[in-house]
Order: sequence, then C-alpha cells, then structure tokens
Amino acid sequence: MSDASITRPVEDSVPKVDGAVAVGEDLDFQRRWWRFERIIWSIFALILLCDVLEVFGRGYFAKAERSTVDRTMHLKYERVEREHAPSIMSISFGPSAIRNGEIRLFISESVVKELGAERIIPEPASSKIGNGGITYIFPATAPPATVDIALSPSRPGIHDFTAGVEGAEMVKAKVTVFP
Amino acid sequence: MYTIIFAVAGYFFLLLTVRVMARRPGGQLTFYEFVLIFLIGGVIIAATAANDRSLTNCTCAVIVVGMVHRAIAVAKVHFPKVGAVVDGVPLVLRQKGEWNEEAMQRANIARDDVMAAGRGNEIRTLDDIEYAVLERSGEISTIKAERK
Repeated sequence: MSDASITRPVEDSVPKVDGAVAVGEDLDFQRRWWRFERIIWSIFALILLCDVLEVFGRGYFAKAERSTVDRTMHLKYERVEREHAPSIMSISFGPSAIRNGEIRLFISESVVKELGAERIIPEPASSKIGNGGITYIFPATAPPATVDIALSPSRPGIHDFTAGVEGAEMVKAKVTVFP
Repeated sequence: MYTIIFAVAGYFFLLLTVRVMARRPGGQLTFYEFVLIFLIGGVIIAATAANDRSLTNCTCAVIVVGMVHRAIAVAKVHFPKVGAVVDGVPLVLRQKGEWNEEAMQRANIARDDVMAAGRGNEIRTLDDIEYAVLERSGEISTIKAERK
C-alpha cells in the first residue's frame, strides 16, 4: 500500500469577473432563484391567508352542525381538524332519544380510532361494541341532555363517521384532518 | 415511521424557509437572527417529535436529520448545482468601482454594509473598493482598488 495521496493538477475553473477576479458568480441561476423566492413567498402568503380565513380549521368556518330529521339528535363538530389538536364533538338529544330512562348513543369506530376520542362526558353507565362502532348507554331523565366527546385526531386524512341514537336515524359526516 | 417523514419534511421546510429569506451580510448571527433560528427550530422540533418525546423517537429524529444533512453535503461535492440551491452563489455587488444595483436591491444589501466589510479589510472609503462580493456564507469580501 502506498501512503502517497492522490493529487490532481490545479485547474482554474472558477468563472472570473472582468477576467480578473475569480468569484464563481452565476447571475442566470441567481435570477432564476429570485423568481423562485418570489413564488415561495407567494405560497407562504397564501398559506397564511388560508389560515386567517380558517381553511385549516380551529375557527368559525370549521364548525359544523348536523341534525336528524326526527330531531332525536343534534350534532356539533369541527369539519376541519388538525392532527393531535384537541376539539369537542357535542351531541344534544331530543325527547324522543330517551327511551326507558336511558339514551343509547351509537358512534362509529372512526370516532375512536381516526378522530381519537379520548374522553366522553358524562361517563356512560355502560357500553357495548358491534356493528362497526360502540354504543354508549347513558341514564337520562328529560331534555336538554348533552354528551361531549373530547377528540384528538390520531392521523391526517378525510375520515367518515356515523353517530346517532340506536334505533333512530343516524348522522353521517366527514372530518378532514390536517397534519 | 412518521418521525422519519416529519424529520425529513421539517429539515427541508426549514432549509427552504431560511434559504428564501434574503441573505444579509455578516458571517455571524446577530441577536435577532438567534431569535429566528431558535424559534423556528423549536417549532419544527415540536412538530417532529409530536406527542412521542421518548428517547427512541428523538434519537431516530436526530439520526435522520444528521443523515439528510450528510447526504446533502455529499451531493454538494458531486453536483455543484445542489450547492448553488442549498447555499446560493456568490454575488458581485460592486464591479470596477460601480454598484450592481440589481444585486444590491435583491439581496437587501446597503452600501453601509459594503463599507463595513471594507473597513475590516483596511479600506478607508467606498471609492477605494473596486470589487465587493456577497459570498455564499453571507459575508462580504472586498478587493481594494489599485491606486495609480
């Protein structure tokens, strides 16, 4: 093995200004870069504008409400959410939702998995699984009666969910979760 | 898996943001640039690590950032255009004693900045500066005019 290092003859390859000063300026590239900078700043401004207009959620325009025709249930939720950002899905029940002193609320599995249901307030007396979701049973007397579900979406994407009183009309909706 | 994607995305987003901020003179960070680096860096870190602040997750994120950084360093050597994109190219601000107004305006360089660099090179007046170059590092190099 030789200890000699590999050497090459010196090449004066750096472009010169006025043929005198080796700078390596590339004005064509720089001008393209300035144009690129303007485009990027326009995109940044557009992103901020969308945020101000609450396109990315966490604001007035993200809030949505749905009701069943039979008025058993009124749902308030955020149609646009952000991953791991907390929010509340609120479900109010009409008189017809209370049967035999209890409300049986069905929510699809996506509310627990994709939308990350962390807590349900008040705590249900019991729950059962099946039909692609969970049915929570709450003792109830008379309206107004509301259940809040604390959400923290676990993954970005567009997620469908279903909620409703067991044996009554269900509400189907979509939530878009930004990363 | 998400940590790796977030770390790579965070690295390139941070690189892009810092790169499109117009270069300013001075190789060393000023106080307000410290604020910028710490604040942007902190926000990106929070998004990268997310809720998983475990040593495993953070170690993976650090390794990913290190690998991306090293890959770019290797790419810069083999492909000069990568270096031009990542670091920029030198820009002649003053040529044969005349200002390059386009470069000065686009790079947000004031004449005082060039004079400040000249003083560091023992140049006393602007007239004595024949060439001034905004280097990739953000420093301004000056070349003294030869007096006849």
